[in-house]
Amino acid sequence: MKIYKINDNKFKSIYISYNFTMPVESNDIFSNNSVLGALMAKSSMKFPNQKEIERYLNGLYGASYDVNVEKFGDLYNLEFRAEVINKKFLPEKEDVLEDMLSFISSMIYEPADWTIENISREKEFILERINERKDEKLKYGVQKMEELLCGGEPFGNFLFGNVEDVLKIDKNILIDSYKKLIYAPVTIIVSGNLDGYDNIDELFNKYFKNKIKSNDICALDYNTRKNNDIKFEEVKEEQDTTQSILSLGFKVIDSSMEDFYALNLYNAILGTTPSSKLFQNVREKESLAYTVRSRYYRFKSMLVIYAGINKENYTKAVDLIKEQIESMKKGEITTEEFTSAKDSLMADLNEWKDSKVAMAKMVFSNIIAYNDSNITIDQMRENINKVTLEDVIRVANKVNLEKIFYLGGSTNE
Amino acid sequence: MNKISVEVSEELDESTFSTKLDNGLEIYICKKKNFTKKIGMFGTKYGSVVNDFIDITTGKRIKVPDGIAHFLEHKLFEKEGANALDLFSKIGVSSNAYTSFDQTVYYFETSEKFAESIAMLVKLIKEPYFTDENVEKEQGIIGQEISMYDDDPSFMVYFNTLKAMYQKNPVRIDIAGTIESISHITKDLLYTCYNTFYSPQNMFFVVVGDVDIDETIKLIKENMSKYEKDRKGENKKIEKFYQIEPEEIAQKQITQKMDVYLPQLCIGYKLNLCDGYEIAKNEIIVSILSDMYFSKQSDFFENEYNLGRVNDSIYMQYEGSETFSHVLISTTTTDVDLVEQDILTYINKIKSEEIDEELFNVIKRKKIGESILASDNLNICYRRLIDSIIDNTNVYTDIEVLKNLKANDLKEFLNKLSEKNRVTSKIIAK
Repeated sequence: MKIYKINDNKFKSIYISYNFTMPVESNDIFSNNSVLGALMAKSSMKFPNQKEIERYLNGLYGASYDVNVEKFGDLYNLEFRAEVINKKFLPEKEDVLEDMLSFISSMIYEPADWTIENISREKEFILERINERKDEKLKYGVQKMEELLCGGEPFGNFLFGNVEDVLKIDKNILIDSYKKLIYAPVTIIVSGNLDGYDNIDELFNKYFKNKIKSNDICALDYNTRKNNDIKFEEVKEEQDTTQSILSLGFKVIDSSMEDFYALNLYNAILGTTPSSKLFQNVREKESLAYTVRSRYYRFKSMLVIYAGINKENYTKAVDLIKEQIESMKKGEITTEEFTSAKDSLMADLNEWKDSKVAMAKMVFSNIIAYNDSNITIDQMRENINKVTLEDVIRVANKVNLEKIFYLGGSTNE
Repeated sequence: MNKISVEVSEELDESTFSTKLDNGLEIYICKKKNFTKKIGMFGTKYGSVVNDFIDITTGKRIKVPDGIAHFLEHKLFEKEGANALDLFSKIGVSSNAYTSFDQTVYYFETSEKFAESIAMLVKLIKEPYFTDENVEKEQGIIGQEISMYDDDPSFMVYFNTLKAMYQKNPVRIDIAGTIESISHITKDLLYTCYNTFYSPQNMFFVVVGDVDIDETIKLIKENMSKYEKDRKGENKKIEKFYQIEPEEIAQKQITQKMDVYLPQLCIGYKLNLCDGYEIAKNEIIVSILSDMYFSKQSDFFENEYNLGRVNDSIYMQYEGSETFSHVLISTTTTDVDLVEQDILTYINKIKSEEIDEELFNVIKRKKIGESILASDNLNICYRRLIDSIIDNTNVYTDIEVLKNLKANDLKEFLNKLSEKNRVTSKIIAK
């Protein structure tokens, strides 16, 4: 059993991330595991309900525990995460780490015998998550684009599943999902102040060793996309809002993990900082949007640009965004744009060092992407630093527009 | 050399240093050993509720349009056509600014360009550049910002609660003003507000991170000294006027229809004004009440959850300043009317009961743990510091208050929540 440890004694607490990672064999995994995760976050044999869990955690000086679901490209990940204070900093030097490990172990491996009421309540909980997603317009615009770009691929599913699949869930489906879950490969990451815990491996062994069935996640395929044909499509959804949402989806053709750093820099120059082309041209020069950004998806080789606009400006905004993409293909990137994007990325990476969660996430992503848990922030900074203007232009020419999504009032076209 | 004072928190294993420059600027530095990021914040104790004051350059009383403090923030964070966000971004530093009811703060976050960032921040704030053209352009941009918030149900449910509670206080108006009010802003009005409220004695500089204390103070002092000559009306007393806010609420209920799936509810209790220490204390009392009576460990939440009325959480929070003081209880819910009734009945019930001492002590323990956890996060460190500057309390007052809090303090506070001063705001689906 391997535990990935990130020790930094500037912190006062310890963050624990316990991951089950699995391929998506059938799309109902999203609905089924959302409900399963909700049940496991709120009950176990020992702690029958949320109230008992909260009361127990309050007694551990406000330690936190929850269940998080996530997609890493086409892989599905269910994460049990917790945070406790290092005993050094507690008033009576009480050790609450072992209590927490014992607690997590029981939450995962000794589930409650769910009643019909429990199940139907958590189904309801997930249904609301699915139905309320339109309440945050910009986020919805991005999710909708992920769905459009990855139709048929696991990543194209909404994280919490869909209404039809949730409605079908019964106890047998959940028991099945639970069995699949605990046979999935486990990755454990501990990040924070580990001073005074030389015995941490023994502690984990004590509570988890006999429980874990598998821990090899590297054989899993995070990008199942087979063909890279571009099928251009424009999708409009009418809704009565003051502001309209525009999102554009791009596929990056023939890219590999080696292009990761160049694409990161490409994305920063295009639209993640206030010096970026999108911010400067769409917001500052033309005042077409208050929010305009781009996002690069490392595991899916794709890019999404999103903006909040006035409906009258639809055509103008689309054209202006396309212009920025084209100018990058032609290499119209100033030294200033290039350097400031690089400096921003390097600074962001450096600042991850101040976050236990960011460090844990970095290690986990690098395990999935490169099967390498030893890559450091400084190495990643070095790799960004090595990217040349030619590298950026090379990857810029792999970026192809495929979908446009619009949410808002009629654009009178 | 200016005298440097230190406040130490043993609980958080942390120290905060402070000093006052000869020009009146207060500097606070929270030392966070071994952290990479350094945060610098330059702020003024001036926000959206101030719209009536003595113009420090002429000595005459003046009324200014709503939203001008926020407008000024936008215009100051811009240099001759270039956005400050961009100027910082060009050297790889992230920056931003915000305006609230009682403060306007400009800040940067950097790991490697600390000295350059301090110089840039001081330069931006000390060299205002307003023209008729750039004021007009900004009216368009802020107009978009205002309409973005119009689509945000959580923002609307909150502001409608303030509107219902207050009759005169400008907190009832959006911090950004209205499209109409900002159309009256001119470059001269901006200079008037700037000259009155951006003088060093009304401002503060906060630094959080692993920095050298003496060097940081020297750095700020040197950058400030470049502007010592043009001191317009500095060290004159700032005089602000507030309309008298009646004790009574403005209206009992505001219900707004929006394009939402889940309705939202916010119940507000208007309270009497109090001093900075009481504000800090009330914040802690209410966060404990919230955990005891509304969080997931409460029977009340469990019941509402099992009935399917509430999904996520019910929060109770306190907000206070020189000009307002109130409690808010908010949640998203499938049934705003039923949950409102349940909460009101429940408030009456807990007011009439004794405080559960055992639960109180467990929650107190949790809060101490939360403060320790929070000190791992630099952004929470600066928020504590700015709160204490605005409330005029010591940096670690919250920890002291928490340690000394008694169950009876909760009881006394609960009795201040009166039905007469209660309002309700609801956002329901169209």
